[in-house]
Amino acid sequence: MRPQAPPLIGFEGVSLSLGGRLILDDIRLSIARQEFLCVVGSSGCGKTTLLRLAAGLLRPDTGQVTYAGNAVTGPAREVAVVFQDYGRALLPWRSAAGNVSLALEAAGVPRAQRGPRIAALLERVGLAHAADRYPAQLSGGMQQRLQIARCLAQEPSVLLMDEPFGALDAMTRQSLQDEILRLVEASGNTVLFVTHDLEEAIYLGDRVVAMRPNPGRIAEVFDIPLPRPRHQLATREDPEFLRLRRALFDFIQEEER
Amino acid sequence: MKQGGELPWWIASIGVALGIVLLWQVAADRGWVSPIFLPGPDRALAALREGFAAGGDLTLHVTTTIEHMLYGWVLASVIGIALGALIGSSRRTRDYLGPTLEFIRPLPASAIAPVAIAFLGLSQPMVLAVIAFGSVWPTLLATAHGVASVEPRLIEVARALRLSRLQVMFKIALPNAVPDILAALRYGLTVALILAVVGEMLAGQEGLGHRIILAARSFRSPDLFAGVILLGLIGFTSNALLAVAERRLLRWQGR
Repeated sequence: MRPQAPPLIGFEGVSLSLGGRLILDDIRLSIARQEFLCVVGSSGCGKTTLLRLAAGLLRPDTGQVTYAGNAVTGPAREVAVVFQDYGRALLPWRSAAGNVSLALEAAGVPRAQRGPRIAALLERVGLAHAADRYPAQLSGGMQQRLQIARCLAQEPSVLLMDEPFGALDAMTRQSLQDEILRLVEASGNTVLFVTHDLEEAIYLGDRVVAMRPNPGRIAEVFDIPLPRPRHQLATREDPEFLRLRRALFDFIQEEER
Repeated sequence: MKQGGELPWWIASIGVALGIVLLWQVAADRGWVSPIFLPGPDRALAALREGFAAGGDLTLHVTTTIEHMLYGWVLASVIGIALGALIGSSRRTRDYLGPTLEFIRPLPASAIAPVAIAFLGLSQPMVLAVIAFGSVWPTLLATAHGVASVEPRLIEVARALRLSRLQVMFKIALPNAVPDILAALRYGLTVALILAVVGEMLAGQEGLGHRIILAARSFRSPDLFAGVILLGLIGFTSNALLAVAERRLLRWQGR
């Protein structure tokens, strides 16, 4: 595990109701700087809502979400969100380069500096050859890489990822998992990663938070002491990985019973 | 469609057009319709040649009509896109302006003409006002719809990136409306041509509409047909040009 630092993101007794239904109840959670935190749970347990609160896209009814010690009141540029539905989160009328450019334009980067930065970002996610292609001409995996590139263009400290690989096939999924680990390692980002795939959560995370529904609450937090860098075969065959997988699996099963 | 499959259709459609011209010629030659009302294509073409020859007045009338159509259309498009963007971007402006617009919209442009004449006289501005009134609606409605129907996820992306309202409008909402706007612009241009002719008939100045009505009143049917043929060509060409522009601007939809 990485060294414990004061929390970068904090949930301090956060509750939220939407449409008269209690979605999240008294969430207390802190995410350390440079931590990779995964959140798992069945659908409807409020894990996406948790992420949207951290993004500042939603405000809590009670309690508060803090970022670097200050209350979150809205979206911030140093917090980037990777949405699951990459197809809808990209501008279909802009090329890959144009989509990355959007984040730079938002940050007020002068036109002259955008070109080289876009090229470097596309290079980092392996899309240098596809700069002029439109989203409709890219595969699902490439579209999600593009969305990640746009998020990296924000030069964020935090990446909030909402089931980012949920709609991809197994092979693409594994390669993107490794790519995101590599990118996060290189940039020192803090990550909040929501997924319904238990193995993915263990493979990626420093900690895994398991949530339960009705109302959404944190049920258990698992430390993942697996060595880094992780490896698709070696890590997944590690006895500790298998033990954690069993523990999480039992935990989820128990809830469904 | 494949290139190979397209060619025979081209030939067929040209064939049909030629057939109709031929039938027209035969009808005129045989005297099925009185030559006072129906000149043959030969006489219509002769009238065209004469009109464009030195001393003819057709060049003037054609350019005038095209000018009317384009100015009126540009005016309508600018107003339509601006108002449409305003209406589409905010629920409040929609609520405030909606009922008024719904009342004005169904009014036929030809009914507006007398009002425009009362205020602007039988003048060029009157013609432009009538054209703009008639052809503003498709663009306005399409823009409002396109701007209001942005994918909600993109609005969230915009929020996460902290784009300003103005940036959202120009970088997301208006580009999102472009396919709708382009289709509406094409339709609006057709309406503009129709109203240009109507306006010229009423205002009695220059333009093909004016020339056609003079030809009709004095039973110069070849001139009448020459005018109609030219209007058809203007409509066909302007529509084709916009279709090309549309295909270019929307190539991101392609494949």
